[in-house]
Amino acid sequence: MTAPAVTGASPRPSAALKRLTGAVTFLLPLVVLVIVWEAAVRITQVHPGVFPGVGAVMKAGAESIRDGSLWMHVGASMGRVMLGTVLAILVGVPLGVLMGVSPAVSTFLTPLFRFFSVLAGIAWIPIATLWFGYGFGAIIFVIFNAVFFVVAYNTLLGVSGIPITLRNAAASLGAGPWTMLREVLLPGALPNIVTGIRTGLGFAWRGLIAAEMIATNVGLGYMLFLARDFYRTELIVFGMVVIGILWLLIDRLILAPLERRTIERWGLVRS
Amino acid sequence: MKSLSIRNLSKTYFDPYAGKHVTAVQAVSLDVPEGEFVCVVGPSGCGKTTILNMIAGFIPLSGGEIVVDGRSVSGPGPDRGVVFQSHALFPWKTVLENVAFGPKMRGVPLADREAIAREYLALAGLAHAADRYPNELSGGMQQRVGVARALANQPAVLLMDEPFASVDAQTRMTLQEELTRIWQERRPTIIFITHDVPEAVFLANRVVVLSKGRVLKEIDIDLPRPRVWDALIEDERFKTLSAQVLQLVRSA
Ligand SMILES: Nc1ncnc2c1ncn2[C@@H]1O[C@H](COP(=O)(O)OP(=O)(O)OP(=O)(O)O)[C@@H](O)[C@H]1O
Ligand SMILES: [Mg+2]
Repeated sequence: MTAPAVTGASPRPSAALKRLTGAVTFLLPLVVLVIVWEAAVRITQVHPGVFPGVGAVMKAGAESIRDGSLWMHVGASMGRVMLGTVLAILVGVPLGVLMGVSPAVSTFLTPLFRFFSVLAGIAWIPIATLWFGYGFGAIIFVIFNAVFFVVAYNTLLGVSGIPITLRNAAASLGAGPWTMLREVLLPGALPNIVTGIRTGLGFAWRGLIAAEMIATNVGLGYMLFLARDFYRTELIVFGMVVIGILWLLIDRLILAPLERRTIERWGLVRS
Repeated sequence: MKSLSIRNLSKTYFDPYAGKHVTAVQAVSLDVPEGEFVCVVGPSGCGKTTILNMIAGFIPLSGGEIVVDGRSVSGPGPDRGVVFQSHALFPWKTVLENVAFGPKMRGVPLADREAIAREYLALAGLAHAADRYPNELSGGMQQRVGVARALANQPAVLLMDEPFASVDAQTRMTLQEELTRIWQERRPTIIFITHDVPEAVFLANRVVVLSKGRVLKEIDIDLPRPRVWDALIEDERFKTLSAQVLQLVRSA
């Protein structure tokens, strides 16, 4: 209940204050969720094996932090997401640029992109495990698929959204194909590329958890699955909370500011 | 030596709605000697932009030849600088980086190209805006940067397609006076396209009137320089020339 007091204290809100109120308005619904959860558990007297209270989940969490298992799972999951995403960006951005500058390539690939984008993510898990076995390769493949199509498609949108006059201007100032790529196409498409990465990472995060339940023996998805085998409902819920919080942190602290910076600083407004 | 020579330039477009070819430019020939300031005027749709885009190399020719400094050209190149109607500055580069872009493409080292860029920004009266981004500038300032960016690359010809059409009347007059001052200081060869007759007469050594894709008439503008609006607005010679050009444009 400190929020209203803080907002009312200063007539001219400073940047720090604005950040604080931003964080409070962001966290408040989550706090309400926790309160409602605890209240519901107490009122309904639901069996902890079906749905545990806040205290039991926190205890399970503290335990997994103490014995180091949480860090092991989080580390494994984050490492996979990062590797799969980096690979997808390395392939998706050049392909998107190529589609953006060549109408023939984009006409040919667009139906394929439509087809595969609906399959992006978990639909690939069965065949990925056939191809790569149960393990690292299959999971990286699933993440790659989740990020690749979105990044390539957004890069295409970004490149083809660059006004032709900007490319003409660069050409008449002496830019060749490579300098055009470096100085115009990539920076011009960057806001869209960042948006693509942000969207793709969302898909990847979901695909990762699903794949880890099936195809591995470490990671957050595996942690949930293992806990289920031991009827540790409180550990399952804790794992779900961690998955959600990790994503919120990545999105809010890294991706969203990056997207805002590139778009706002250059005054680019993209639809 | 002639800086720019256009011989028998023509352009036909395919009109997908009418399902037939339309001729936008027909056998246009024009010689622009080094250091001349030529304005091309004509009613909307007479082919001004098409001619400029062909000279710039942005669209292919249907016929004819474009010769810059004795060499036949095709495709865009740094010998022909362009100032666009919509400024076309790179939004992700600062004003200084925009102006330094041409020298950068030529491989000029960072310190040198920044010095060049600062020189041309000062020439355009924008030394103070070097570190800003284009979206932080007014329309008039954006066009000044566009002029500085094109000039900093020292092109053989400067091509301008209605660069002042989208700024307010006061700013436009200032920009016109500044452009004549810059032209007098540096003597670039300029082809300036406009449908504003007083603007053409104010700026040019020679006004070329187009009509339906052809050159209708060329008129020498023998007004003294420096040209400033306060003096010219009441000038009899300026009035006579403007009336003469206006009549040609309206008959076109
Ligand atoms: N891409 C195109 N496809 C088909 N026709 C075109 C194309 N571009 C221009 N035209 C036609 O060519 C003619 C000349 O057009 P252009 O843009 O060169 O005129 P303009 O003199 O610049 O006119 P304005 O003063 O309105 O800018 C017009 O009839 C126009 O409709
Ligand atoms: Mg035009």
